[in-house]
Amino acid sequence: MLLLLAQITTDDLQREALRLQHDYQFLTYGLVAAWVILAAYVMMMVGREKKLKKEIANLRAMLEDRR
Amino acid sequence: MRDKIVYVLGCIALAILAWNTYTIAFLPEETRQGVVFKIIFYHVPVALTAMCCSMVALVASVLFLITKRFIFDALAVAVTEVGLAFLAANLVTGSIWGRQIWGIWWTWDARLTSALVCWLLYAGYLMLRKAIEEPTQRATFAAVFSIFAFMDVPIVIFSIKWWRTQHPAPVFWSGGSFPPDWTRHFLWNMLAMVLLGVVMTTVRFGQEQVQREIDSLRREAHAL
Repeated sequence: MLLLLAQITTDDLQREALRLQHDYQFLTYGLVAAWVILAAYVMMMVGREKKLKKEIANLRAMLEDRR
Repeated sequence: MRDKIVYVLGCIALAILAWNTYTIAFLPEETRQGVVFKIIFYHVPVALTAMCCSMVALVASVLFLITKRFIFDALAVAVTEVGLAFLAANLVTGSIWGRQIWGIWWTWDARLTSALVCWLLYAGYLMLRKAIEEPTQRATFAAVFSIFAFMDVPIVIFSIKWWRTQHPAPVFWSGGSFPPDWTRHFLWNMLAMVLLGVVMTTVRFGQEQVQREIDSLRREAHAL
C-alpha cells in the first residue's frame, strides 16, 4: 500500500483534481440546463395566464357595455 | 380551492427536488463515469415524465375522436406542451452527459435520433394547432396527428434493446447495474418530476379552458 502511494506523483494528483473539477462543471451544466428549461416554460405559462385574465376581463366588460 | 391544491403540490415537488439534490451531492462517485453519472437522477425522470405525458396525450386524443368532447382536446394539448418541455430537458441533459463521457455533444444513434424525432413530432403537433382556425377541425386533425406521433414513443423506449446503440444499455432493468442503494434517491426524483408534470398540466389545462371561454365570449360579442 505504501509502495503504491509512493508511486503517486504531483502530476497524478493535479490530473485527478482537474478531472474532478471538469466532472462537477458538467454536472452543474446539466442541472442548470434542466432547471432553466423547466423554469422558462413556467415563466411562459405565467405570462400566458396574465394575458388570458386581462383578455377575459376586457371581453366581459365589453359585453356588459353592449348589453 | 383547486388552485391552492395545485400550488401546494408544486411546492411539495420543489421541496423534494431540493432535498434530494442535496442528498445526491453526498453520494460517492460512480466507478467508471465519475460524478457526472449523477445527471442520470434528472435525465431519466424527465424522460419518463415526458413519456407519461405522451401516453396521456394518446389516451386523450383517442377519447376526443370517440366522444368529440373538447375537454379531452384541452387535456391533450396541455399534456403535450408539458411533455415537450420535459423532453427538451432530457435531450439537453443527455447531450451534456455525452460531451463529458463520449467527448461529443451529439451522435445520430437510434435512441438519440428517435427522441429528437419525438420532440419534433410533438412540436409539429403544437404548430399544426396554430395553423387551423376552426375549433372542431383543429381538434380532430390534432388528435389524429397525436396518435401518429405516439408511434415514435415505443421506438424511443425500446431502441436501446432493439439496436446496438452508443447510448448506454438499460441500467434499471434487464440486469442493469444501477446501485440498489441509489434507487431510493432516483425514485424520489421520479416522484417529484411526475408531480411537477401533473401541476404544470393542471395549470395549462385551466388556461386552455379559459381560452375556450374567451373564444365563446368573442363569438357572443360578434353576434351582438
